[in-house]
Amino acid sequence: MNYRPLGASTGNFGFKNKPKRNLAATVMLTSLVDTFSVLVIYLLVNFSTTGELLYMSEGMELPAAAQSVELERNVVVKVEEDKLFIEEKEIPMAGLVQKLIDVKKNWEEYYPDTEFTGAMTIQADRRQTYSLLSHVIQAGGHAGYSDINFAVIKK
Amino acid sequence: MFKSKLQKKPLNTEVDLVAFISLLSVCICFLLLTTIWIQIGSMDVKQAIGGQAQEGKPKPEMWVVMETDGKLTFKLRHIPAKIAKSFGSSEIASIEGKPDYDQLSQFLVKLTGEFDQLEMALIRPAEKTPFEDIIQLMDVFREKGIKDLGVTPL
Repeated sequence: MNYRPLGASTGNFGFKNKPKRNLAATVMLTSLVDTFSVLVIYLLVNFSTTGELLYMSEGMELPAAAQSVELERNVVVKVEEDKLFIEEKEIPMAGLVQKLIDVKKNWEEYYPDTEFTGAMTIQADRRQTYSLLSHVIQAGGHAGYSDINFAVIKK
Repeated sequence: MFKSKLQKKPLNTEVDLVAFISLLSVCICFLLLTTIWIQIGSMDVKQAIGGQAQEGKPKPEMWVVMETDGKLTFKLRHIPAKIAKSFGSSEIASIEGKPDYDQLSQFLVKLTGEFDQLEMALIRPAEKTPFEDIIQLMDVFREKGIKDLGVTPL
């Protein structure tokens, strides 16, 4: 009798005539490249830089509007609860007019690439009452900012 | 001799897709991380009081008073007498403490249908009026073709 040690394989497990299967599968790269290309184009088209103009605080929700225009670079006054911020620096309520005048005077220092147009952007939560917004609008009027842009989310 | 040389040169070349896929993967990761999905816009308005003095004939304008409970009151100025008679002073009641935007929309369609020269509206919100309501009101006005909007400080 022909004895074989336990565990030692003959290599084909007794199926001598069956051809060996090729285990290396080829991946269809063309469709993968197509998908990636479409993704890159879609993301590039949706790439927007306007969001950089505003720093959104946690919990702040802007109101939504369909008839809005593109946001332009100008002074941003952020209204958060009962606090006011200009370019992320807290401003006392009473000193808002003076600060806005300072920004107007030193415009080139604050915004080197843009011209002063007399516009300012008000960024406020959608639940904010008008009393504080009115104070900001009035302060803007006194400081020479006649155009008011309310920051909104495009519907 | 030429014939044999041409026959040997392979014309099919393979593009190395691995590098291309790597480049695209990096691009996708970068764009996914940096793309801002929320589109931020702005609603432009003028200060209704303290603006520049008007020259010549005054333009037709509409004053909108927003009450705290959401009621809207309209007053038209510098308009023909016939229009003033029909729309001169109107009110729209609120719904659950909010302005009735559907009624407002219908009112504006009717008004602009009869008098298309109205381009200016000045809004006077109440002290407690939410910012959202003011913006939504402006949105309805702009949608109906009244583009020059202003707000009055308290």
